[in-house]
Amino acid sequence: MRYLVRRLGFFVLTLWAALTLNFFIPKMMPGSPANVIRDRTRGVLKPDAINRLLTSFGYKPGQSLGGQYVDYFKNMLTGHWGVSIGSSLGVPVTKLIGQALPWTLGLVGLATILAFVVGTLIGIVAGWRRGGVLDSVLPPVFVITSALPYFWVALMFILIFSVSTHGFLPNDFNYGEGTHPGFSGGFLLSVLKHGVLPAATIVITAVGGWILTMRNNMITTLAEDYVRMGRAKGISNRKIMFNYAARNAFLPNLSGFAMSLGFVLAGAILVEYVFNYQGMGYMFYNATVGHDYPLMSALFMLYTVAVLVAVLICDFATFMLDPRARAKG
Amino acid sequence: MRRIKGAAIAVTAGLLAAACGSSKHSTTTPSATGSSTPPAATTSAPVASSSAPATAPAASGSVAAATHKQGGTLTISNEQGQTWTCQFNPFNPAVNAEANGYVYEPLVYVNPLQNAKETPMLASSYTWNADKTSITFTTRDGVKWSDGQPFSAKDVAFTFNLMKATPSTDLYSLWTGAGLTSVVAPDDHTVTLTFKAPAQPYFYSFADQVVIVPQHIFSTGDAAAKPDAWPDPTPIGTGPFMVKPCTPNNITYVANPTYWQTGKPYIQKVEYPAYLDNNPANLDLASGKAQWGGQFIPDIDNFYVKKDPTNNHYWFAPVVNVALYPNLDPSHKATSTLAVRQAMALAIDRDQVSKIGESGYQPPANQTGIVLPTFKDYYDQAAADAAGYGKVDIAKAKTLMEGAGYSSSKTLNLKVITVTGYTDWDASLAVVKQNLKQIYINLTIADEAQQTYDDQLYKGNYDLAYYGQAAGPTPYTELREILQSDNSAPIGTDASSNYERYKNPDVDALFVKYASATADEQKAIIKQISGYMLKDIPVIPTTESVNWFQYSTKDFDGWPTADNPYAQAAPYNIPDAEQILLNVWSKSAQ
Repeated sequence: MRYLVRRLGFFVLTLWAALTLNFFIPKMMPGSPANVIRDRTRGVLKPDAINRLLTSFGYKPGQSLGGQYVDYFKNMLTGHWGVSIGSSLGVPVTKLIGQALPWTLGLVGLATILAFVVGTLIGIVAGWRRGGVLDSVLPPVFVITSALPYFWVALMFILIFSVSTHGFLPNDFNYGEGTHPGFSGGFLLSVLKHGVLPAATIVITAVGGWILTMRNNMITTLAEDYVRMGRAKGISNRKIMFNYAARNAFLPNLSGFAMSLGFVLAGAILVEYVFNYQGMGYMFYNATVGHDYPLMSALFMLYTVAVLVAVLICDFATFMLDPRARAKG
Repeated sequence: MRRIKGAAIAVTAGLLAAACGSSKHSTTTPSATGSSTPPAATTSAPVASSSAPATAPAASGSVAAATHKQGGTLTISNEQGQTWTCQFNPFNPAVNAEANGYVYEPLVYVNPLQNAKETPMLASSYTWNADKTSITFTTRDGVKWSDGQPFSAKDVAFTFNLMKATPSTDLYSLWTGAGLTSVVAPDDHTVTLTFKAPAQPYFYSFADQVVIVPQHIFSTGDAAAKPDAWPDPTPIGTGPFMVKPCTPNNITYVANPTYWQTGKPYIQKVEYPAYLDNNPANLDLASGKAQWGGQFIPDIDNFYVKKDPTNNHYWFAPVVNVALYPNLDPSHKATSTLAVRQAMALAIDRDQVSKIGESGYQPPANQTGIVLPTFKDYYDQAAADAAGYGKVDIAKAKTLMEGAGYSSSKTLNLKVITVTGYTDWDASLAVVKQNLKQIYINLTIADEAQQTYDDQLYKGNYDLAYYGQAAGPTPYTELREILQSDNSAPIGTDASSNYERYKNPDVDALFVKYASATADEQKAIIKQISGYMLKDIPVIPTTESVNWFQYSTKDFDGWPTADNPYAQAAPYNIPDAEQILLNVWSKSAQ
C-alpha cells in the first residue's frame, strides 16, 4: 500500500511542478499577444486599439506575475480556461479543445493502439520463431520504415494513393466537404476514408519500435528457466508463448505504451499539417506562435495530466502484474 | 514559408497583402492576362470620388445591372493555418475577414488598384463640406438586412456611435486618432460624420474598411452587452451572402435572395474550407477542386498553370514596397549618414533582387516609394530620372562611400535584421549583400524570431531592417506610415510605423496640407513627398509586395485581370472580395 501512496504523492508533486513550469516558460518567450496581432494586421491596428481589444477578451497586460500565477492556478483547477487571445480570438478554450480532441483521440489514439498491438504481436511471433522467415523479414523492414520521417511518408502516401489515383483516397481534411457531421452512414464512411492515409502513416512509422523491443524482450525471456520448466512439463507451445514468455516480456513495453498514450493528446503535428487534419497538434503550434496564453496553459495542462495519469495507471498495472513491485512496497 | 502563411491569416483587408512576397509584374504575366474575358459587368458606377470638388456628390447611386444567369458553386483556397471559429463579428479582427464583404458591407467600395476609384455600396452618394471636416452620406433605399428588416441611415449612425461607446470596436481609431466628433442620422436616409480636422485621408477607413452592422441585432442581448466579444455565429448582414452553415472545417455561404442588387450575386454558393497548411491548399487549386486562390505557390507555372494551361491563371497586383530601413538616429553613425544611404540605393540591383530573391513574383521597386504600375498617376518620372536611382551605378556609389571615409581597407560592417522563415526575404538579402560588397559594405544577415525582430524594429535597436508596411488606397498611406514624424518615437520606445525615425517638418507640413487638398493637388503633394524619398533616402525600397491571386476559368468567368483590375483579388482582401463575388459567374449555369 505504501507503494501506491508514494506514487500518488509523487503524482501530485510532479503535477504542481509541471503546471508551474507551464506557467512561467511561455511567459519567458519574447513578445506579447498584442505584437502578434499587430504583425498579423501589418500595423493597420495601432497598439492602443489592440490593447483595448485584448482587454475586452480578458487579457490583462499590466498584471503582476505573482497575481497572474495565482489566477492561473485557480483557473486551471476550476476549469475556467478563458477565451483564446490568439488566432482564434474570442473563442472559448474549452470549445476549441472540444472540437479538436475527438479527431486527435480517434486518429492518433487508434493508430497508436493499433501500432502497439500489431507491433507487439509481430514481436512475440518473431521472437518465438527466432531466425525464421518472419523474423528475418518483418523486423528489419519495419525498423527501416520507423526511421523514415513522418511527413515524408505522408507526402509519399499522398503522391501514391491520392494524386496518382485522382483522389481515390482524399489528401486533406477529416471528412468530405459535402457531408456534415452526424451519425449518418455517409459521414462515417467519409471519416474512415479520410483517416486511412494519416493513420497508416502513424502506424507505419511507429510500429517498428514496438516490434524490436518486444522481439528482444521475448528472446531474453525465452532463455529463462521457467520457460524451460514449462516445456519440460509439456505445456502447449501457444500457452508458453503467451502466458509464460510474452506476459513477462511485455512489462517493459507497457510503461512505454502508457507514455505514448499520454502523448496521444499532443497530436501528431506534422501528420496533421500534411493531411490538413484538424486535431490538437496544429492547435498547439498555433497557440505557441500566437502567444495565446489561455489556450497554451490549458493544452499544456492537459498534456501534463494525460502523461502523468497514464504513468500512474501504468504503475498500478505493474503493481497488479508484477509481484516484485508488491513485494518491495 | 512561414511568412506567406502569416500573411494569409492576416486579418485586415488588402492591407495584409503586404505580408506576402509579391508577384509577377502584370506586364510579364501573359498567362494571367491571356484567356479570360473581362467581366461583363464591372461595378463601375460613375464615381467622381476623390477627384471631385469638395462639395460635389461623389458617388452616384447606380450600380451595374445583372447580365448573367445565377447558379454555380465556387470553392475558395486560402490557407488560414487554423480551423474556422465560426464567429463572424465584424469588430473582431481575427474573424472579420470571413464576414466583411461576404456578409457585411461598407458604405463605399474604394479600389486601390484604380486610383481609389469608388463604387457606391450602402451609401448611394456623399458630400463633403468645404474644408472636408464633415461628410454627409445618403444611404441607399430598398436595402434589407437578411432577416427582412429594412436598412436605414440609423444603422450607419448606430455602427459609428457603437465604436465610441465601446472603444475596443473602434479598430481604425476613428474617434481617437482620426478626430471623429459626432455621427448623427437626422432621418432614415442621411447620416453625417463630423471631424475635428480635415478628414479626407480617413475616408478609406470609415467608408471602405468599416462595415455597417444592424442596430436591431447589436442593440439587444449579448451583442449589446459585449459588442466586441460577441461571437455573432449567424451574422445578419446586407451583403450578397449568408452563412449556412459553418463547421470548423468549412464555411458554406449561400446567396442572399433579397440582396439589393437584383439578379446578383451570380454564384449561388461559396465553399470556404479551412486549410491548415499551404500544401493541401495549393494541391486543391492545382487539381481544380478549388477555383479561387489567394495562395503563395512556389514555381507556380509548373505546379499550377501547367495542370490546365487554358483555364488556370494567376495575376499578382503590386500594392506596397518591401524596403531596407536604415536607422536614421544619429546614434547609428553609418546609417544616419546620407552619403552611405545614397550609395546603397545606387548599388542595390533591384531587378536582380526581384528575379533571384522573389522568383520574379514581386516586381522591382523604385526609390520614389511609389508602387508601379498600381499608382502610376502619382509617379514623377522626370524627378526619378534626375535623381538617377533608376539604374545601378557602382562607380558613383563607391565615390560616395569614399567621401564618407570608407575604402577597401576600411570596410563598413552592417547588420540587417529579418524574420526567420521568410525564405524569400533571405534570398533577396543575399543578393543585396553581394551588391553592397562592391561598395565596401560587409552586410551580416540576422534571421530573428518574429517577436525578437518586432521588438528591435519597433524600438529602433538595429542598423538596417528589412520590412514592408501596410498598403492603402493611394501611396499616401504608405508614405505617411514611413515618413510622418508622429509615427516615430525616440530610440528605445515603440514607434508605430516610422521605424527608421525620419523627422522632417517640411514633409509633416505636406501631410497636413494633403488632408484638405483636392484630388489633383493631392497627386502633386504625393509627388513632392516622393521627392524627399529621393533626396533624403529615408528608406530604400527593393521589391513590391503583391496580392496573391489564382483563378480557374474552367467554369467561372468575370475575374479581375491586369487589364480590368476592378478589385484587389485575393480572398483575404476585404471588403474587395465582395466585388469579385458580385462579378464572377458560372459558365455551366448559363
